[in-house]
Amino acid sequence: MSVAPLNTIADGYRRVASLGNPILDLSPITLLLSIILVIVVAVVGSGWVAPVVVSVVFVGIAYLAGRGTRYLVNILKLWLVVGLLLFVLRALLVKGETVLIPLGPIAVTAEGVDEGLRFSTMVMAICGGVTLFFALVPMRHLTLALERLGVSPRASFVVLASFQSITDLGATARVVLDAQKARGIETEGNVFVRAKAFFPILAPVFLTALAATEERAIALDARAFNSRGPKTSLIQLRPTPAWEWIIVAVCALVAATAIYGGVVGWL
Amino acid sequence: MAIELRDVGFVYPDGSRAIQGVDLRVDEGERVAIVGQNGAGKTTTVKLMNGLLKPTSGDVLVDGLSTRGRTTARVSREVGYVFQNPDDQLFAADVRSEVEYLPKYLRWSDEKTAARVDRAVRLTGIGDHLDTNPKDLPTAVRKFVAIAAVLVSECRYVILDEPTAGLDMRGLELLHGLLDSLRAEGIAVVTITHDMRFVIEGFDRVVAMAQGSVVVDGPLSAVFCDDQVLERARLKRLDVAQLARDLGLSTTAVTIDDVEVLIP
Amino acid sequence: MALATLRDVRFTYENADQPALNGVTLELEPGLVHGIIGLNASGKTTLCGLLRGLIPHFHSGELTGEVVVLGKSLLDWDPAELSRTIGCVFDNPFTQISGIRDTVFEEIGFGLENLGVPREQIIDRVSAVIEELGIAAIAEKNPNELSGGQRQKVAFASIIAMDADVMIIDEPTSQLDPEASEAVFEIIAQLKARGKSIVLVEHKIDLLAEFADTITVLYEGVVARTGPTRDVLGEPGLEAFGVRPPEVSEFAWRLAAAGKPLPFFPVTRAEAARAVSQRIEEVSRGDRTA
Repeated sequence: MSVAPLNTIADGYRRVASLGNPILDLSPITLLLSIILVIVVAVVGSGWVAPVVVSVVFVGIAYLAGRGTRYLVNILKLWLVVGLLLFVLRALLVKGETVLIPLGPIAVTAEGVDEGLRFSTMVMAICGGVTLFFALVPMRHLTLALERLGVSPRASFVVLASFQSITDLGATARVVLDAQKARGIETEGNVFVRAKAFFPILAPVFLTALAATEERAIALDARAFNSRGPKTSLIQLRPTPAWEWIIVAVCALVAATAIYGGVVGWL
Repeated sequence: MAIELRDVGFVYPDGSRAIQGVDLRVDEGERVAIVGQNGAGKTTTVKLMNGLLKPTSGDVLVDGLSTRGRTTARVSREVGYVFQNPDDQLFAADVRSEVEYLPKYLRWSDEKTAARVDRAVRLTGIGDHLDTNPKDLPTAVRKFVAIAAVLVSECRYVILDEPTAGLDMRGLELLHGLLDSLRAEGIAVVTITHDMRFVIEGFDRVVAMAQGSVVVDGPLSAVFCDDQVLERARLKRLDVAQLARDLGLSTTAVTIDDVEVLIP
Repeated sequence: MALATLRDVRFTYENADQPALNGVTLELEPGLVHGIIGLNASGKTTLCGLLRGLIPHFHSGELTGEVVVLGKSLLDWDPAELSRTIGCVFDNPFTQISGIRDTVFEEIGFGLENLGVPREQIIDRVSAVIEELGIAAIAEKNPNELSGGQRQKVAFASIIAMDADVMIIDEPTSQLDPEASEAVFEIIAQLKARGKSIVLVEHKIDLLAEFADTITVLYEGVVARTGPTRDVLGEPGLEAFGVRPPEVSEFAWRLAAAGKPLPFFPVTRAEAARAVSQRIEEVSRGDRTA
């Protein structure tokens, strides 16, 4: 694995930040609004066709952005675990008249299947949109874009630090489990064995994280985080060109049409 | 009864090679210091000794049994490992519970628990702090609590990862006392350290590593009297021993005592 | 104007029963490297917190006595201004990293971003610091994935990038190997050469002997000794305060006890070499009895 020379890295910051793909380079705000508006299409109306179409569109966008394979794998996992579960639950529990599979009180009815399809595909479309957003936009760029609009750096910190703490927790868990193994406490094996090893340490792990908060606050203060003056940024976010608003407008139009269609009944 | 590494190699999941062709044997009662720069493979080597890592090539045997196919926890009860940062290993509300955790987990009888806990507490000198929360204790004491929590398993081999980091003079004295007590009980101690003075004062066998291989494995003189070894493993002699060489007084001095007799 | 003057300062943390500082009187001059040593829990970190203004603004407790920092009483300082004037690194590398920057380069630039320094200057400054510390190999890595030693270097780099005139550095080499420790001390020496004032808490007495101008020994919340390095380390009895003298000094005392005293007392390697050579010469010339 080669390491880029320092000059190259430094020069990178002299240029406007680019992720090398027109879709990835769209303003985070543009992407945020567009995805939300497209999700609206999936939510209004009552069938399962719209949500499925929306989900496919999301996959398409992911591929155009060069993140397709990873996104598809994640989405399929989501569909298989959550989507399927939601569908089955609805299909079994919703009461209806046309029984397809007689199973007594949890008989599968045609209405249940319809409801199941509708509900699961809608939830999957929403999840697909959220996942797409996080797959396309680095959190750092989002916070920079928000700060450009006037959001306080403290809010950015909360967002970024929250995401980081989730990752950290994973890493900490691994270290702690290793430490427990090294003491002779069994962590390998079935779920119960692992749970028995893991639960006693959960509270202290959180407490240590909390205790560290004070030190972190001091460290942030030492980096002038609390200073009131204007801040600069190493990363130069691309200024949003006017035409990106056209994208948002188009999505808004599509969403409006969908809402109308949902109200009128042909969706 | 020994820990044996036979032609052991280890490659991390991301493809980076940590160590290759390592042959090492630690017998009961021995004191071995593993030294070398950060990244030389020291931590990987000791993690292989207690089963935290399983070799990707070669074999690691503890008392004749391979670590492959045994869980880390099982091996760790024979080869204890005290992490560099005690906070990675401590989690109980008070010191006593911390040391009693493993016995209770393994459902030992009360007598057995009491006997082993007493021993661990005695060896590490933490008797005054049994009811204190480890978080309220200074770093040095926490280190000893972590050591006690590992020793309670009656492991025959103990690995200490950078035990002197952050220790003040008192802590250092306690540590040397602990090493002596462990030796008296025939327990082998393997340590990773950057502190050459600690090595020279407490150990008679040194394994110097560089870039994933063992450069030399032998008595103190094998490392500290060999310029090439020191160069390869990026190690330094004691200031005073280096001085003796710079002034042309000796080529074999290792300790302060060695040099003292050379001065007229 | 002194860097800091403390007169009979006592401080007890809010929920503690023992005072952390129990009558500290100390004067530190600007433009020097001041070493602070002592047992763990002797008050070293509390002293740093006090000089930096964390006490009493951040850590509450009972504070008595006079504390003057850079000519102004501690209580008259605006906390934000004080934190800008005095750069500070503490010893836990896991909490000194901001956690909200994706590369080491950006992490080091974080403080400068907060100060509103123009981008071009940030880039130059960060590059210079990275070169100084020899961490170009990890410049693009995510700081949250680094080892403790690497984090310690990055935290140190982040503070020197901010270029404050006064720096308080608490155990910057606890996780580093000897080579890296020496590199850190050399950078501290360069900072002093540029006119900065440094307060450095350390256990590595041999390196402190080489690089510190003054040494203050804290013991149970009071100043046991303070003064120029050679004076403090030259007086026997350091062990009583839990401090080990430098190796070469211990050697000198051993020689003296064996009836072969050196012509002068060394605290650094270079001094020891000179002292030993001199003795050998004097003995061979017959100036001293062997």
